[in-house]
This record gives sequence, C-alpha cells and structure tokens, in this order.
Amino acid sequence: MMKSTKSRWLAAISAALATLFLTPGAVRATKRPRYGGTLRVELQAANVSLDPREWKAGSLSASGSEKVATLVYDRLVVLDDFGRFQPVLASEWSHDVSWKTWQFKIRAGTKFSDGSPLTPADVAAALQSLLPSGFQVTAAEAGVTIRAPRSTPDLLDQLASGRYFVFRVQPDGTLLGTGPFYAAETVPSASSESTQAAIKPARMKFRANEEAWAGRPFLDVVEVTLGLPPLRQLLDLQVGRADAVELAPDLVRKAKQENLRVWSSAPDTLLALRFDDAQPAAADERLREALALAMDRDTMANVLLQRQADPTAALLPQWLSGYASLFESPLNLERAKELRASLTANKAGGAEPLRLRVDAVGDLMKLLGERVAVNARQANLTVQLMPHTAASTSGMASTAANPAALHLFAWHYDSLSPRAELEAMVKQLHLQESPETVQGLNEPEQRFAEERRLLNERRVLPLVVLPECVGIAANVRNWMPARWGEWRLADVWLEQGETVPSSDNPPPRNSESVRVPGARP
Amino acid sequence: MLPNSERLCVRPHRFALPLLIMFFTAELAMPAENSSLEDGMRQLAERVATIPNFHGSVRLEVHQDANFAAATGTGWKETFQQELEKGHITVTDEANAPPLRISLAETPTQVVLSASTRIGDREEVRIVALNRALLPATALPVASVRLERQLVFASADRIVDASSLWNDSEGGLALLVYRNSELTALKLDASGAVKQSVSLAAANPHATRDPRGELTSRGVGAEVLLPGKSCEFSWSGASDLKCRMAKTTAKSWRNTTFLLSPCDGSGWKLEANGADWTAADLLQVVPEAASRKESGALLSEFPGPVVSMNGEQNPGSALVVTRNLRTGNDEVYKITLACGN
Repeated sequence: MMKSTKSRWLAAISAALATLFLTPGAVRATKRPRYGGTLRVELQAANVSLDPREWKAGSLSASGSEKVATLVYDRLVVLDDFGRFQPVLASEWSHDVSWKTWQFKIRAGTKFSDGSPLTPADVAAALQSLLPSGFQVTAAEAGVTIRAPRSTPDLLDQLASGRYFVFRVQPDGTLLGTGPFYAAETVPSASSESTQAAIKPARMKFRANEEAWAGRPFLDVVEVTLGLPPLRQLLDLQVGRADAVELAPDLVRKAKQENLRVWSSAPDTLLALRFDDAQPAAADERLREALALAMDRDTMANVLLQRQADPTAALLPQWLSGYASLFESPLNLERAKELRASLTANKAGGAEPLRLRVDAVGDLMKLLGERVAVNARQANLTVQLMPHTAASTSGMASTAANPAALHLFAWHYDSLSPRAELEAMVKQLHLQESPETVQGLNEPEQRFAEERRLLNERRVLPLVVLPECVGIAANVRNWMPARWGEWRLADVWLEQGETVPSSDNPPPRNSESVRVPGARP
Repeated sequence: MLPNSERLCVRPHRFALPLLIMFFTAELAMPAENSSLEDGMRQLAERVATIPNFHGSVRLEVHQDANFAAATGTGWKETFQQELEKGHITVTDEANAPPLRISLAETPTQVVLSASTRIGDREEVRIVALNRALLPATALPVASVRLERQLVFASADRIVDASSLWNDSEGGLALLVYRNSELTALKLDASGAVKQSVSLAAANPHATRDPRGELTSRGVGAEVLLPGKSCEFSWSGASDLKCRMAKTTAKSWRNTTFLLSPCDGSGWKLEANGADWTAADLLQVVPEAASRKESGALLSEFPGPVVSMNGEQNPGSALVVTRNLRTGNDEVYKITLACGN
C-alpha cells in the first residue's frame, strides 16, 4: 500500500515535470509585457495645462505640462535615442533644396481619442497655432505643407520636441489628442478655479486609448497627482503610494542610499542670473564682470546641489549644443575685487545694494540666491535678496515698489533644436533689442559666436544646469524616457503583485470628480 | 556585412508627384553627408589649418565624454594629425607648445567636433557637425566560448521574428518586421541582402506596442501566425496572401527552443527573459538531458532584450532576435553549439 502511494506520487511529480518542460505553452521562452494596472505619478507642479498654446517657452510649468501632454497627444515625428527621426503622425516627409518647404504625409487611419478621424486640416490648424510667426501651414488631401520664412534644416528637431503636439480644438474649447491615453477625469484642488483652457487640478486620471494608432498602451490608467512637495513624494514612493515621483536634487542621494531606483535625464534646466535696467548701477559693465568673476559655480553644484548639478558658463547645455565646454568660467576673486574697487562706493554698496529677486519657486532656489549674495560679498559687492512673492514669478519685469536689478531664474530647455532654443531664450529673456538678429543660425559655429557675444554682454550669467531626477518603483518595467527628459509612458508596464491599489491613495478632501469634455466615455 | 539600406531609416519620397521631382532634385543637390568620424575630423583639420597666423607645432588636448570615447576609438586622432600636417601644423607632446583643444560631443541629432585655440588675445574656434544617425555603429564584440554567436542581420526596423532558410537553395533568412507600423515579410540571401519583400498589411493585424508574430518558411512561401489569425503567402507576391481565423492561445506560439549538440546529439534549451525592454538579456543554454546536468548552463550576454528565439528550421542552430540598446537596431544572431572548444 505504501509502495503504491509512493509510486503514484513519483508518477505525479514526473508527469508534472514532464508537463513543465515538454508541453508547448507551459514554458515561456521570453516574457511578454503585461497589460493592465494603474501607474501613479506625482509631480511638483501645482498646475498643468493641456493646451500647448498656453505654454511659455522655458518655464518650469511648461515642462510639467509637457510631461502630461505626451500622454494625450502625438507629434508628427519623434527623435529616438540614436539620433534618428521616427515617423509618428507623419508617415513620410520631404523638403525642398532650400529647406524652406516641407511636406508631411499624414498617417492614414489615425483617430482621435473620441474615435473621429485625424485630418490634415487638424494637423495644419494645430501646428499653425504653435509655430512662430512667419511659418505657414497648409493642408492638402493627404498631408500638410509647412513653409518656413527662412531655411530651416532643423524643422524636424523642432517638431519632435516642446509644444509641437497635434490636437483638435473642440467647440467647448477643450483639446482632443491621438495619443496613447485620454484625459478621463480631473479632481481639482479645493482652492483652484476650474477653467477649460487651463486646468488646475490636484489629480488627473488618464485612461488607455484602446484605438491608439500605435497600439493600446500596456497600462490601463495613469494617475497624476500635482503640487506635492518633494519630501512627500519621496515618502510616497518609499511606502508604495506612488510609482514614479520627481526627486528634488537634494533628495537624490537619500533616495539612492535607500536603494530606490533613480533615473536622471541630461541637464534640462538652467539656473542663471539676469540683469535688467531697474537699478542704474547694474548697467555698469565692470560691476557685471565683477559679479561674474565672483560666482563660485563649483560650490553651488557640488555642495548646495549635492553633485546633482553641473557648473556652466553657457546658455545652451553641452548635450544640446555640443560646444558648451568651450565656455570657461574662471572664478577670480582678486580680479573681481579690483573691478569693484574701480567703482564708486555706493554702487552695489551697503547704501544702495543690488536687489536680487528669485523668479522661481522652491527652497533650493532661495538657497542658491543666498549663495549668490555670499559670493558677491566676497568681492565686496552687496546683494540683497528680495523676499519671494507671487508677482515675482508671474513675469520677468520687476515690481514697481522694489525694482530688482538681478533675477535668479530657472530656464527649462524645451526644444531639441539648439537654434530654436537660443532664439527662444533671447526673445523670452529680453537678451537683445531685436531678437531677429539671432534667427537662422543653422550652423553650430554661428550659434557659438552668437552665444559668445551674448555672454560677453553679461546681461545673463549662467550658473548651473540641473538634470531631472525621477524615483521609480521596483515593479515599473520599460521605463525608458528620452535622454533629454521626455517620458514615454505608453510602453511602461507594471510587474504583477507589487502594486498598491490606487484606492489606497485617497483623493484630497473637499474635492469633486469632474469629467473632461471630449474624452471617450 | 550589414546592408546600409537596412541600417538607416529610409523615407520614400512619394507624397505628391509634382513635388517629387523637386524634392528628388533637392536631395541630389544637397552636399554629401559626412559618413564617418574620420571624414569629420578631416574637415575640422582642414578648417583649423586655414586659421590665419596659425602654424608651427601644437599640443593636442582632447575632451570627450567617457562613454562616447569608448565608442569612437582613436583612429580619428591619426586622421586629424595627418590632415594638420598637410597644412604644415605639427602635433607635439612638448608642454610649452600652444594647446589646440579638440572636443567631441554627442547631441541628440549630431556629433559635434570642435577645435579651439588662442592666438595672442584672440580665441579661434572651428566647429564641424556630423549627422549622428549616419555614423556607422562600432563593431559589436562577439562572444564565442563554447556557445557560438554570429550577428547575421541588423535593421532599424523592428524585427518580430526570424526564420532560417537553410534548406533553401539561396540559404539566408526570412524575417517578419514591423516597418513604419506595417507588418512586412522579408527574404534575405545568405549575404544579408533583401531579395524579396511582401507586405502583410492586407492581413490587417491589430496595431500593438508589443507586435507578435511567427514566421515559418514553407518552400516557395511562408506561414505567419498572428494573434487571432494564421496567414500563408508565397514570396512571389502579396496578392497570394490568404488568412484564416485561428484561435491563438499560449500553446499556439512557439515556446521552448532547443539546440542539438553536434558532438553527442544532446538537447539544450534556450532561455531568456525579454521582459524589460530597458535591460540587456542573458541568454542561457541549459542542458536538457540529466546526464549533462553537471555541465551547467552556457551563458551569452546580449546587447539588449531578447524578443524572439527560433530553432525550428534547423536543429543545429537557433535564431535570436534582440533589440540592441546601444544602437537602437534590432539584430538577429545565429546561435550554434561548438562542442570541444
């Protein structure tokens, strides 16, 4: 009896092993991505806008908005990690000999998230509203033609980045996209005013677009929570309440020490000083040079920003221009003091200090402002840090009551075209009387010369460039954003069994759920 | 070894007939693209040699990222020096020679080569930019310790499956590729050149981010298994494409891939993960027979995730498709066992 039972057991185990190894289907040669699940993302930005027409070039808010917009919209082309443009909504393209006229054939059969077909007229209308003045976009039967006012060999670089998404404006003002997800729901914070053009939610929910032209994304839902402070985000990642969070530079080391997955982009944000004419003393070139020579960028990058930033003396980052390393920024306190001594005592002196306003939110920016003041003092220059107000971030102009000659600002690089990025900086930061003179700098040597000239004028003093750092949960697979920071969540999937249901992460109190018009029911 | 037409993104210009001629002319009229780092360096050296009042001996200072440096090698330095010497500028190691700073940097679309030097109080900078996508990828190291691995094909298109044509008179490969979101079958000769291309768009496969399909060569044609359907076609033309509904379950797909040892005929099973598209895979070739268990598994590291394995057509070799994370190309490797090495 015993023997019989034992034999049966052995037979059963042998059969199971045979089934495991020999039956087709029991053993998978390679594992496939899993469909389903909710990816919970947390962003520091308190507001995002899904309307690319509203984004201000270089602003940090536009950076947050772009992250969310990549879920909903597509561009004509994308740039892969190997320098190749890949077709997205454009299936073919070509240009004339002067690089002024570009033809794009629109991918047939593409539909918006509500099921309506994408037409060349939609593409033309969207791009016309986004491209700079002088560009003409016309729709034809199967594609669009873009006529540039001058030779634009880098049009694909431009269209593959930044705001150049394709959308359709609906009668109620909301926008429809063809992307892998659609905006399904927003949960506005209690204090915000909900408008249709600029959504200011505390939480947004994006559902998979089942009919996306490139295939349904692996995730069912992407849930984005906005306006969370950096420490809270790190905590949420640690306890499993979030799957992807933005990490502030001063928290990256802590996250790594705790064995969390951290991804960093190429440096995508410039922190710099800008002079304006609000205080007459700031117009003195010797003063500007003295301040430039007094800035200890290495300490800012390595100590204050805990080696998460790179010191820079260039406007464009090395990864974008390829020549930023040619600009040197020698710290020369002796020379700075000499220059200071050649100025009258009251210029940037105790009685009439240079006022510095921080034009971006965050404790790190305030600390950096304090460091600028300390460096200036070492060269006998007095810089007074102005308290941060909402007005100071609303625009670049100083407030009338306390005009500041110096601004510490953050610039987020939006474009993959170094020419377009330099043009945007000159225009947005008012670095030149007539921004047209920097247009059409298609050759890197021309751009280098122009950047050199702008830096020699010292209206702007670059300090450091910062990467974007993201903390990622262990169960997130295929996290493969672009080197320049663009997230690609359509290919992300979640390993089973490690997620915390999103219901464990309750929405903010006093909130209500709002459906986004135009979304698929 | 790798046909250039398959390595690069080719965009056919057939949008509008009247403009076709204009654009075709435009492409012809454009200056030839730089094809290598050496060409770029030659151009840079020529430009440096024409800097006014710049002659004699110089000391080279090279700056480039560590990752990029590993990929570019040192051949370009010799080219640069030779070209400078043609312009009567000699390169020396003497510390008191004026420095000529050379930088190589990679941007998203270009490789930027720059040279800068100081002549008196004047800074002279020369910059040459190359199209990054057109630079040839450096040769990949091929591991061959007991497990032989040979790169047989690479393409910028997404390769879904590969099948051997070992019994075909021309040898070669049959591939199932996802080209500009359209499923296509390719027949390649033994040298890797595309001999025939058949669009399978008429099979109307559902668009997916994880394209799945299996190609099995059948004499003058092939059979393709897609989710929910099975199709047959002949290489002579797409009009012969015949599809029928087929219930595809996990058992329908090719699963375990085996190799037979040429020495003792023992069976070895290929295993890979392929789950994360961001991670390189380790292919494990595990002995099946209990008598060879002590041999342990043979391991081979691939440059990216393994997306497909096929050993059906030839028991002596298997084809492994991987997505090279460094070049972005999909690559097909032929795996064979080399006993006794």
